[in-house]
Amino acid sequence: MKGIKILFAIALLILALAPVGAQDVTTVSMWFGEGSTLDCWGPIMLEFNEVDPSIQLEIVPQADTWNVTRTAVAGGGGPDIVRTPGPSFVYEMAQAGLILPMDAFADEMGWGDFFFDWALDLGLVEGQLYSLSDELETLLLYYNTDVFEANGWTPPDTIDELNALAEEVAAAGYIVFSHGNASWRPSNEWFVGEYMTQIGGPHNVYKALTGQIPWTDESMVNAMEVLDAHMQAGWYGGGIDLYFTNDGATRRSMFADGTAAMNIEGSWAIRSLGEYFGETGQDWDWAPVPSHDGTDYFTIGMGNTSSINANSPHPEAAAQFLTWYFSPATQGKMLTNCRKGPAPVTISEEVMGELDPRIARVYAELSDASANDRYGYTTWTFWPPKSDVYIYEEVERVWTGEITVMDYLEGLNELFAEELAAGDIPPIPAR
Amino acid sequence: MAVLTQKKPTTILEKLNDETWRRKFIRNVLIPWLFIAPLLILHIYVVTVPAVQGIYMSMTDWKGVGRNANFIGLENYRELFFEDETFGKALGNNIIWMIFFLTVPFILALFAATMLSQIKRGGMIYRSILFIPYVLASVVTITIWKNLLNPQRGIGAALDKMLGLEGAFGIAYLGRPESALMSIAFIDNWHFWGFLMILFLAAMQAIPPVLYDAAKIDGANRWQEFRHVTLPGIRPVVLFMFMMVAIWSFLAFDYIFLSTQGGPGGASEVIATLLYKNAFFRFEAGYGAAMGVVISIFAGFIIMIFVTLRRRGWDI
Repeated sequence: MKGIKILFAIALLILALAPVGAQDVTTVSMWFGEGSTLDCWGPIMLEFNEVDPSIQLEIVPQADTWNVTRTAVAGGGGPDIVRTPGPSFVYEMAQAGLILPMDAFADEMGWGDFFFDWALDLGLVEGQLYSLSDELETLLLYYNTDVFEANGWTPPDTIDELNALAEEVAAAGYIVFSHGNASWRPSNEWFVGEYMTQIGGPHNVYKALTGQIPWTDESMVNAMEVLDAHMQAGWYGGGIDLYFTNDGATRRSMFADGTAAMNIEGSWAIRSLGEYFGETGQDWDWAPVPSHDGTDYFTIGMGNTSSINANSPHPEAAAQFLTWYFSPATQGKMLTNCRKGPAPVTISEEVMGELDPRIARVYAELSDASANDRYGYTTWTFWPPKSDVYIYEEVERVWTGEITVMDYLEGLNELFAEELAAGDIPPIPAR
Repeated sequence: MAVLTQKKPTTILEKLNDETWRRKFIRNVLIPWLFIAPLLILHIYVVTVPAVQGIYMSMTDWKGVGRNANFIGLENYRELFFEDETFGKALGNNIIWMIFFLTVPFILALFAATMLSQIKRGGMIYRSILFIPYVLASVVTITIWKNLLNPQRGIGAALDKMLGLEGAFGIAYLGRPESALMSIAFIDNWHFWGFLMILFLAAMQAIPPVLYDAAKIDGANRWQEFRHVTLPGIRPVVLFMFMMVAIWSFLAFDYIFLSTQGGPGGASEVIATLLYKNAFFRFEAGYGAAMGVVISIFAGFIIMIFVTLRRRGWDI
């Protein structure tokens, strides 16, 4: 009986002390998409828990993360760290008061010391910092080096050179660009944004985004007509109808086995190219997407953003995690180990030296381009939501011959003007 | 004698003071309502309130994020019917979809059920085989058929190879505006018609065999048996399914979204996919809600037709 009493007393003591221990640890929650990305990123992010034991990161895997997150946050719940697919989504959440302004944290924790200036500006909504951009992206012209070497081809610098090469490639029986949108219909927008920047010119895109020129400007009409001509020539995926049915695995396979010679895709593709080329024994490299004047322009995009939930009970702890996560050391480690597109922060040369030179060159070129006014704009980062959906949905009607390029651009112009007037345009870095 | 002359209570006060009336009220009114109350409260909470909220939201400019929703009256409906070309196109596709599903699967199911009803042994194997596609998840069905219809590695490509032809059958059925919608309808029907067949077969088995015997004695052939015995016998089930399929046609979403997402160029766009894009990609949740209300109105209209027919004596 005495033993039972002692056990009971010990149990009570443990119960009484347990909450005291729990109160000392602050848990910061983050929701993250299930899958292979989390498998690699997760263990690195959880290393944060060893930095300061009083703050523990909890990663909750979620399917359809963004829709789940925004529903929960709108309902007054959700994780402490709110991740969105891009700055235009942040704008809506900030307007609704669902996420916190982070200017005080940025000053206190020195975010400006390691983020590029323009990158912090991307998170501004009405002058206040609401998000930190992650996963720097750009579009590249990938090419199969085996196919190029066998035919004595070199990557083109200008659109004219690209046109000449594409005709040669097609005549030799190759598919020019391994493409298809069956897995991800918004991939249409990659080309719209890229052609507008490379052919229309990034300065004209900037003017159109800031309302100085309409989208029906001659430069944009010309860019879209070239894209349409390339589509009609069957250069993308082997034909328009095939473009609409090729899925992600098909287009990667046809590029890796030499059925296709080139591929215009984002820097994210680097993560999976090795897997496909490993199977075929062929190899790849990349070049800047050709432009009208031969200048190497790089469109800039962000894969996602991070903010702090307005309902978070401990925003300070969440900010400390963000400081650690976006630090050049953590970003460098994720780039090296997972080939994750880094946040727009200064990565050390030591880290870059450990990378596959082709990958290191992407970020070195991007950094150089952004410093030297050679950057352009990806549609999913810089266009407002309605215009963005219009861009990738309606362009199919141009390619299927239902409407003309001018009809398409007039529609875009009308919609964009509405969003511009409503103040729905994400921050456009001044140039 | 006093009981016989007692006045029947007429006012509420008199009724409440009358013991017999009170007991009757508790037994016939109060207790049944108490029994149904939990379900009713739950229904009001999860169906009625969101439905009313949805109607209200359809008259606002709500973006789907946060709580800012300005009342704009019928503006969303005006835009929907008088400005939005894509909505008209999507509605047209819904009507094509409905016509397809009110004919093709019904004909297939009636034919198969009639054939299977004649089989005495081993019929269960056929029924199971024809019903299996119905239990497959839509994402599985779509993945199977996207591969089968793939112009480079699907059935068409294999046929071309076998027959020594090029591009005769290996066509991008889902990639062409003229064939995308019907290809998806074909896939959805592959999964759906077995369900109709089982329902019709069950209804056919409930028809008294004596009716078929009488028809045979009267000299009816197979077609006359089907026309004058089978069809009248299963008519309530067929007509009920007509109503349900017509309603479901306006809710079509998963097969279309998983296969073409409404493309190419909006060729397979229907109201539900358009609603989803407006609500979740374009931040036009109020406008999306208006589309949802329109779908409900169409469904209500279809139900009204059937209720009217029933009132007129149709055996539905």
